[in-house]
Amino acid sequence: MFSEGTAKGLAGWAIFGVLMLIFPLVASTGMVRIFVFANFLAIFAISWDVLSGKTGYISFGHPFLIGVGGYTTALLTYHLQLPLYVTIPIAVVVTMVAGTLFFLPALRIRGTYFALVTLAFMELMYGLVQVIAPTITGGTRGLSGLPTLVTGAIPNYYLSFGVMFVLGVSAWLLIRTRLGTALSAIGMDEEAVGASGLNTTKLKLFAFMVSAMIAGLGGALYIHYLGSIAPRGLFDVSFLFTILVACLLGGAGTITGPIIGAFFLTLLLEWLRPFIPGQERYLIYGVATLILYMAQPKGVYHIFRVGINRTVGLMQGVQRGAST
Amino acid sequence: MARVLEAENLVKSFGGLRAMNDVSMHADLGESVGIIGPNGAGKTTLLNLLTREIVPDTGSVFLDGECIDTQAPYRRVQSGLVRTYQVPRPFSDLAIKENIRVGMMPDLISDMLMKGPDEDAEREIAHSIGIVDEQMALYPYELPMGDLRRLELARALATDPKVLLLDEVFAGLTYSEINQISELLMERKKTHQTTYVIVSHDLKALEPLVDRVIVIHFGEVLTAGTFREVVHNQDVQVAYLGTSWESA
Repeated sequence: MFSEGTAKGLAGWAIFGVLMLIFPLVASTGMVRIFVFANFLAIFAISWDVLSGKTGYISFGHPFLIGVGGYTTALLTYHLQLPLYVTIPIAVVVTMVAGTLFFLPALRIRGTYFALVTLAFMELMYGLVQVIAPTITGGTRGLSGLPTLVTGAIPNYYLSFGVMFVLGVSAWLLIRTRLGTALSAIGMDEEAVGASGLNTTKLKLFAFMVSAMIAGLGGALYIHYLGSIAPRGLFDVSFLFTILVACLLGGAGTITGPIIGAFFLTLLLEWLRPFIPGQERYLIYGVATLILYMAQPKGVYHIFRVGINRTVGLMQGVQRGAST
Repeated sequence: MARVLEAENLVKSFGGLRAMNDVSMHADLGESVGIIGPNGAGKTTLLNLLTREIVPDTGSVFLDGECIDTQAPYRRVQSGLVRTYQVPRPFSDLAIKENIRVGMMPDLISDMLMKGPDEDAEREIAHSIGIVDEQMALYPYELPMGDLRRLELARALATDPKVLLLDEVFAGLTYSEINQISELLMERKKTHQTTYVIVSHDLKALEPLVDRVIVIHFGEVLTAGTFREVVHNQDVQVAYLGTSWESA
């Protein structure tokens, strides 16, 4: 059913899954909490990668999508006391619909302008949430005391990891289909994809819907993990850049890369915390990212891959040497 | 003979420049039509208007007698009107076989998701154009110009074209490469009754391929006829050389 490469990749996913399942048994509670954030960042990174990493339509508007998902479920649970198993699916659907309505015109714009237009959506949402009906949305302060799905670090870890893992494997399998090939081709030469007889608008829309679905689900789960929602945390440029940097650093367009990037970034920030407690550590991560990106624009994923290939090659060489 | 492709009174201006001024042309089933003309005459513009990568100001295009003016470029490809580009435009980060795969894909999301690629069919297309198995896993930057042109053709053939618009397929190729590609095209003409519209600077390469030639000059049809007729036409010689060589 699967090609050899896919089978090997799935084996890799299985190993990753087992290690992550064991992790809370050996790690401190504090570390587990950090990993919960890494899992959520990974979900957002996967969402970004399906659209932007593949098609080259760089979205600066993912916080908008995550925010739509988050606010939908927050409002429904806060005001109408609807149960989470109802509000979260609604949030996903609303994100897909609202996102599509807003982004559909934007998908006709290429290159830098797409990024700028999507950035405008994020800023627009930031303004709207505060101004329009602040009594309902909670205005600048947002809403707190929202219900949570599970309590405690470890259950939250397993929940966030489970969702991230399922989404990650699905997205990874998705990009390995012919559809994934077509999406990357759009990123290389969209006109030539049209000249191959494919409707690029339909393909982009599909990638966008998948991306919005993941963002909506991630956003809804995230705010029910936090138990609160506020515009400043969500529609924020540094939140946007954390997602972007995770993807670029890890290796855009590979799904596994952005997941690696998300963990790398989260851990780097935590590791720096004792030395530089304030916001200055963002400067360090900026510089670290820049250097890594300059050294290998294809990201950490590519460095890993080359490393593994070389090790395998070396071992085969040693074996051959021993047998002769 | 059945008229497969027909363009009527195509007009296109870019600002004050009238790049295409009332050009009509046609091609019959299994016919090869050459388009020649000096640099900047509007040959590539004509192809772009036929595929609608550039939208004409006025004028119509018919495929199999049906007006396709409202069809987007990808729809025209699905209907069988396919082109290659003057500068090969392979998908740079996809392997050769994946480049061909994009051309072969059906325009159906469900099929693209659920069905794997038909690697045998991909290989068949590649072989038919002279790409060997060892090259299938290579990337476009690893190929020399001749093979890139082949890949460009293979990508077009993968869409199963009825009418193939070839833009300078011979540019930058050696004589033996030109001969190979010409033979491939003639072979396919016999087996598939493919109609060709061939834009070329290389008149020598064009001669054995084409049934009819249209000469374009300053965005207008200067003359049309058999290859021999047009190259001996005085107006054509003036257009190419500035003056006819007999009078020089």
